[in-house]
Amino acid sequence: MKKLGLLFLIIFLLGLTFEGLCAPPELKFGVSAPLTGDIAAIGQATKNAALLAQDEANSAGGLKVGSSKRKVRFIIEDDENKPEGTATVFQKLINQDRVLAIIGSQASKCSNAGAPIAEAAKIPQITPWSTNPNVTKGRKFVFRACFIDPFQGKVVAQFAYTKLKAKTAAVLYDIASDYNKGIAEVFRNEFTKTGGKIVNFETYNTKDTDFSAQLTKIRGSDPDVLFLPNYFNEVPLQIKQARQLGIQAKVLGSDGWDDPQLIQLGGKLMEGAYFSNHYAVDNASPALKTFIASYQKKYNAIPDAAAALTYDAAKIIFQAVTKAGKANSLAIRDQIAAIKNFSGITGVITYNGDGDPVKGAVMLRIENGKYVFDSAVNP
Amino acid sequence: MAIIIQQLLNATQLGAVYALIALGYSMVYGIIRLINFAHGDIFMVGAFIGFLLATLAGLPFYVIMPLAMLLTALVGVAIERIAYRKLRNAQRMSLVITALGVGIFLENIVRVLVGPQTRQLPPLLPDAILQLPGGIVITEDKILIILISLALMMILWLFVNKTLMGTALRAVADNKEIVPLMGINLNQVIAVTFAIGSALAAAGGIFFGQAYSIDPYMGIDLGWKAFIAAVIGGIGSIEGAVLGSFMLAEVEVFSVAYLSSNLKNGIAFGLLIVLLLIWPSGIMGKPMLKKV
Repeated sequence: MKKLGLLFLIIFLLGLTFEGLCAPPELKFGVSAPLTGDIAAIGQATKNAALLAQDEANSAGGLKVGSSKRKVRFIIEDDENKPEGTATVFQKLINQDRVLAIIGSQASKCSNAGAPIAEAAKIPQITPWSTNPNVTKGRKFVFRACFIDPFQGKVVAQFAYTKLKAKTAAVLYDIASDYNKGIAEVFRNEFTKTGGKIVNFETYNTKDTDFSAQLTKIRGSDPDVLFLPNYFNEVPLQIKQARQLGIQAKVLGSDGWDDPQLIQLGGKLMEGAYFSNHYAVDNASPALKTFIASYQKKYNAIPDAAAALTYDAAKIIFQAVTKAGKANSLAIRDQIAAIKNFSGITGVITYNGDGDPVKGAVMLRIENGKYVFDSAVNP
Repeated sequence: MAIIIQQLLNATQLGAVYALIALGYSMVYGIIRLINFAHGDIFMVGAFIGFLLATLAGLPFYVIMPLAMLLTALVGVAIERIAYRKLRNAQRMSLVITALGVGIFLENIVRVLVGPQTRQLPPLLPDAILQLPGGIVITEDKILIILISLALMMILWLFVNKTLMGTALRAVADNKEIVPLMGINLNQVIAVTFAIGSALAAAGGIFFGQAYSIDPYMGIDLGWKAFIAAVIGGIGSIEGAVLGSFMLAEVEVFSVAYLSSNLKNGIAFGLLIVLLLIWPSGIMGKPMLKKV
């Protein structure tokens, strides 16, 4: 028995070295995604998009690094959409898996928890979907693939004032989340600056389900628009409770809305609502159309913005590795920072010294259960 | 004035759901002196059983409600039989830790079975908006939720105070050592307690899912809130659990309405501390220490 075990061990070890001799080691990248928890649908989309990018690179024989072609592997970990979970995932990816770069996380509160760890370990991080300005602020190794909330908040505020002719607005947002809080404050400042009036500025905490006390207050001031810069899993409930209390205001949101679950949960309630987003499926460029088609073929679902941005983040890293010509985190970081006019599927990306690209936004309208392109805004 | 009444209605609905959960905490504690920390998750299981019955089987409300209550009661009894009975005479700490473990187990099993997403129960109750005088609005399902919850609490009160089994229950709560000597089957009484507590939690879960939304982790926060409501009212007392629940809901809603939504939980739990300083065993609780 003992001999047999030894024999297997030898065969196993031989196999390992043999494999090691045959092909250059694969390039390992980390992904920190909310695979479980309250925005698990975003995590699933992140995973799908990362695996799509990985498969595309590998079916082309891998990435060209220096003189050899090397396969790509994404190590995808679940951060449960919790800051403490993200910190653990980042530490595991960096110290245990020795990844070259990390994509993630998606919610700003999580990216904010991961960023100091990536920064200290000098591992480049690209968050696809975190729009809160603090994520990249003062950091050399942290980048993002999306626009930031000061821009998004301005777009929504101006849309409300000029297009919807709103004079008064009420805001209800999650004060425990960096993203929601940041964009709510930008909206308040911009809407007031444009000439509108904020009549209610109400808060709740993540996982709250009863908003009727706040909404009863909002009903009392009868605003023209109700701005809900929250995530797709909560917004339908907030709108339902608002309508049940008889609030007639037009509803506005931000990119945290973009997930098919929004319509599944909200159904008819979502009709006629507007939100800002990174891209519009029905107003897609040829490159974006190709991505949507291959994503749909592989996963039988329409990709959300988080998926498209994840795909862009993966492509940015791939390009940086190829340009660096070596599997070295510092060199990859320098190549990412030097990216100019990278044509991603969600727009053109240029990093001007900070990790934030300058990109346009779109406003979408919900009509017959579909997202319809309304207008595009460029900075 | 209209706004105050509107807020009172909001609080009443929330309080009714808290009460349905708090009753389970209170009853189990009253009988075996166990704070069943898995109870919030039993509430979640009840909500998901209701969700599955509604979406997969497409049953109407009056079938879903009793069926989900029955199935959840079985889950509660099974948990007691498998996880708690052997530990009944063990150290109190072992029981509490087991209860916490059972809760985490339930969360994860549901997450694996149905996925982690937020769900909504299909509308089971009519939800037309009714306009009351003075600009007050209420939906039909809100009225039904409040009325059915109150009816369930009434039935429980009658059961405990007017039936033979109820008498046995109160006797066991009073003295677990002597009562079995009188020919009362202790295991049976405890099983009935878990069944009733779990069935009420299931009713709460379905109402909660009807009014709000459900996910595998919903039981954690709600469980804590209901537990705290039971403690405010005096854990072990049925009237106390109901009173504590409505008080907590009203404090929460009115602190959002007139102070700050940011401080809601801080105010609610601050109040708990103050109340416990005045009444260490809750408003309607009996003092735990007996004079010798």
